[in-house]
Amino acid sequence: MSQLVPGLGLARGMLLTLRRFFEPKATIRYPEEPPEGSPKFRGRLQLLYDEYGTLKCETCFQCAQACPIECIDMGGIDTKNRYHIHWGPPETYGERRDESALRRSGRPVPDPAYEHFGPIDLAPVEAALAEYDYDPKNLLPILEATQQAYGYLPVAAIKHISNMSGAWYAMIYGTASYYGHLRFEKKGDREQAAAVAASRPPESSYRSALQAALMGGAPVEDTTQPPAANKARGSSKVRGSSKVRGSSKVRGSSKGRGRPPRAN
Amino acid sequence: MATSAPISRRRASADDPRVILEEQVGVFEPVPPFPPRTEREAEFYTLGDGEMFLNMGPQHPSTHGVLRVVVKINGEVVTDLDPVLGYLHRGVEKLCENSDYHQAICYLDPLEYVSALFCEWPAVMAFEKLMDVTVPRRAEYIRVLSGELLRIASHALFMGWMALDLGGLTPILWSFIERDEIVEMLGALTGARMLFNYYRIGGVNGDLNHEFMSRLGDWMTRATEQHDANVRLLNENEIFVRRMRDLGRVDRETALRMCMTGPNLRATGVPFDVRRSHPYSVYPELDFDIPTRDEGDCLARYLLRLDEVKQSLRIIDQCLNQMPDGPVMAKLPRLLRPRPGRAYAAVESPRGQYANYAISDGTDQPFRLRIHDPSFIHLQSVGLLMPGHLIADTMAVMASLDPIMGGVDK
Amino acid sequence: MTVVGRAWNRLSLPGKLFFTLAPLLLVTTIAVIAILVIFGQLIVDFLAANLPIVRFVVAVTAVLLMSVPTAFLIIYMEMKVIALMNLRLGPDRVGPYGSLLSVVHGLKVLMKEDFTPTGVDSIVFTLAPVVVYLASVMSLLVIPFAPGLFGQDLNVGLLYFFAVGGLSVVGLLMAGWSSFNKYSLLGGLRSAAQIISYEIPLTLSVVGVLILAGTMSLNQIVLDQRGSFLDWFAFKQPLGLLIFFIAATAEANRTPFDLTEADSEIVAGFATEYSGMRFGFFFFAEYVNVFIMSALIVSLFFGGWTAPFDWPWPVHIELNPGGLGIGLLILLAVAPVVGTLVLAAPFWVARSSMPAWQALIIGFVLLNLLIGLGLFALAFLGWEWVVGLFWFLGKTYGFVFTFVWMRGTLPRVRIDQLMGFAWKWLLPASLLNLFVTAGAVVVLGR
Repeated sequence: MSQLVPGLGLARGMLLTLRRFFEPKATIRYPEEPPEGSPKFRGRLQLLYDEYGTLKCETCFQCAQACPIECIDMGGIDTKNRYHIHWGPPETYGERRDESALRRSGRPVPDPAYEHFGPIDLAPVEAALAEYDYDPKNLLPILEATQQAYGYLPVAAIKHISNMSGAWYAMIYGTASYYGHLRFEKKGDREQAAAVAASRPPESSYRSALQAALMGGAPVEDTTQPPAANKARGSSKVRGSSKVRGSSKVRGSSKGRGRPPRAN
Repeated sequence: MATSAPISRRRASADDPRVILEEQVGVFEPVPPFPPRTEREAEFYTLGDGEMFLNMGPQHPSTHGVLRVVVKINGEVVTDLDPVLGYLHRGVEKLCENSDYHQAICYLDPLEYVSALFCEWPAVMAFEKLMDVTVPRRAEYIRVLSGELLRIASHALFMGWMALDLGGLTPILWSFIERDEIVEMLGALTGARMLFNYYRIGGVNGDLNHEFMSRLGDWMTRATEQHDANVRLLNENEIFVRRMRDLGRVDRETALRMCMTGPNLRATGVPFDVRRSHPYSVYPELDFDIPTRDEGDCLARYLLRLDEVKQSLRIIDQCLNQMPDGPVMAKLPRLLRPRPGRAYAAVESPRGQYANYAISDGTDQPFRLRIHDPSFIHLQSVGLLMPGHLIADTMAVMASLDPIMGGVDK
Repeated sequence: MTVVGRAWNRLSLPGKLFFTLAPLLLVTTIAVIAILVIFGQLIVDFLAANLPIVRFVVAVTAVLLMSVPTAFLIIYMEMKVIALMNLRLGPDRVGPYGSLLSVVHGLKVLMKEDFTPTGVDSIVFTLAPVVVYLASVMSLLVIPFAPGLFGQDLNVGLLYFFAVGGLSVVGLLMAGWSSFNKYSLLGGLRSAAQIISYEIPLTLSVVGVLILAGTMSLNQIVLDQRGSFLDWFAFKQPLGLLIFFIAATAEANRTPFDLTEADSEIVAGFATEYSGMRFGFFFFAEYVNVFIMSALIVSLFFGGWTAPFDWPWPVHIELNPGGLGIGLLILLAVAPVVGTLVLAAPFWVARSSMPAWQALIIGFVLLNLLIGLGLFALAFLGWEWVVGLFWFLGKTYGFVFTFVWMRGTLPRVRIDQLMGFAWKWLLPASLLNLFVTAGAVVVLGR
């Protein structure tokens, strides 16, 4: 039909657009109406909390190790509630990529965060590395030798091992934290760390606070300091997530579908 | 060699302001600064009488991605052209060699970024062949279902682009609305809207869920109707049809000689479709036709894709009807170390035959992963299709071949 | 002195400005009044002696001032209408329904860097936008907006229109040539080829109307179509209208004939290298062109400012406010208050949650709207030019909408199809139209 009458197709197209002119629109007015994401959406990194309001993350660093572009950078209080293990250099993403590329290429990486962890005499580490051929497969002997030299594993030494052997810091840290006989602090510091740990509220305080929040009942014990302590405990960060929700905000089940907590 | 009057500017020297330098500025000729390396290059970069070079891309408004086409024109007529690739090269094949088998899949996603599942699919199939894994049937059905959905999304986008390159503003937005529904749906299934990373070695990552099924059911009730309404704007438009007809015509022999596959080949009348000629997954169990057209011009390629959308809808319908129960992942060890060997797998992507060739040396990383991308193959035929047409048609012909530069430059 | 100096230093910036400007203003006012008193009669005599020049200057100023808001309006219309056809919302942030967005665009264009690339022919490059813009704006001079509301009533108005309108191609060619860019060059040459080709059917299609009207003055042509809408030339010259519409689309570089700035082929055509306000001139000129072409179609074929059927207007309303005497003053004092209260009361009664001041604001706004409407209705009834302007702008924006609508629907034609269409179809058709009209006039005698 439209082949026979010239311009009929054009006219029908015009009518179609005119009809669409009056139809409901597809635009989502973004800041006012945030689009409803699906529960499975995994567009952003986020640390999750369990039903007691504590972080599910065990800081095992396997995610940082597996991340192909090394965008995950971690830190926080370790699972034994002892000391703070934030090593990530406070640098931009671009610099981190740069460092990563350098490290992969095998060249030494200039690291501005060295001073932060206190420079040490690296000769024993060098010796240990040279003895084991700078091979990350011999990580455990290297770490043991290092510990023998310093009495503990200084961060600068681990970074140096990471730089020279090409193993990721996350991997070395994971290895070192797995073995009980390797430690990250001087002998005397362990007592200090224990004292710090003792000054933190025991886990039961979280439970009682949680119970108070959920059941509405009075907290059982230790009412003096839980909120601040909770904040301190939940300070782990994943780079890429804008803000990690503090554990003092416990996700109730009132939202129904059991979605993971989501910022905003 | 192209010559043009050098434009010079006088400025004071930075070292000694008393010295006035005369420097040549701002003449942008596409002539490479080196002597021609091949005969073809020498021939191309020699201008005939009344001819002129025109640089289209990589920042032209309508090249699909960052493709640069050096066009030699005589007035408005294109006499020759030279596509320059590599502006999006990321070394994906090399990256895959340095990551283990699971990580390699997520590198493959951004190759054909408008239909990312079809990049994962052949790689996953090749790795499964290497490891002798049997994929559960439910997983295969889910793969076919999601793949065909994405084919519709990709073809919808193609129609919009096609119209946009011919100057129509509206169809691209209607296509994006259509595509967005599918992509949201797949986002509910896979967890991402564009780069899915959904197919895993031995199955898929996650079973069908309620949100996906409800969105799919909602969409299926009006998919055909909506699609027909959208394409009516262009299919009946005399301006569009007149411009597309007899444009970029390629005959059957040439198409076969240029290794075309997919809709571009089927538009010349060759019913070659990997889904039928080298069946994979559960396609043998499904009932669908291979549409073909004989003209081989841009209009045929355009209409053929519309027909394919209908067939994809049929396949989705059957998938939903025949979907078996069962697991969606095969039992696999955590660390994948296939025995040394090599495997080849090909799928029919919306652009043609998308294939991967993987070699294993027994470690947990592929020794080599070769990616065969149909966009790259099709792009080499623009040199045949273009000469004799007008500048306005360069982009139309390019759009009708539907290349995705992510896959071309790899 | 020190006292004055210290007081001056204590003043804030607005204060300083005020105390500087106020005496100046006072002196100027006194001087102007004095001059008017002394030389007033002389000036009036001089102006009266040179009335055509005065009229011309005023008209040019008015038209220049009018063109920019017109362009803003059409740009907003284009953004919004195409968005709605695309199933988008379009501009909706600046102003009510985003209506100020085009104004913001204009300001943005003003603030951008005015960039001159290396290698351009800078004099021609600078002049080109001016030529294009002035050519568009000057065409507005002969368009009759309403009875008595036109720039110049030339007896060769249509000829002037085509002559000045044809000047814009010179500007486009200048821009394309001087930009030192191949895209610009292609765009400029395309525009030259296209506009010159379409000038011929454009002009020939109007000759039928000229034969029927017997004049080239646009005012006379509009007056010829007075009466009901059946007297419009659109019904006597349907083929001429069709040809004119198509050719006008091409002449204004609108879709589907926007080859000169085809963004998917030659980046932005002749305007590729332009930025800042120079680009703004091109941009505004395009939309002023759309307005002009619509206005011309309306004037030639759709009766211009005449109403589509016989209105019994203008009605002469015998209103003598002076007759009320002191009552007028009381009315002026009381009516706003009473009106506000009366209009606010229903809202205040109906919604218990609304505080009184909100209701009063609503009442006040409503009252103002009502008074505005009333005044407009009075003017509409009483003054012929308000009616004329109403109908003229209504019809014109109807055609502007059609142009925008076409842009939202149609793809672009190819250059060879474009030229072929002009020479093989439009030209013979317009000649046919001309001969048929002439024959009919000869046979039937007007």
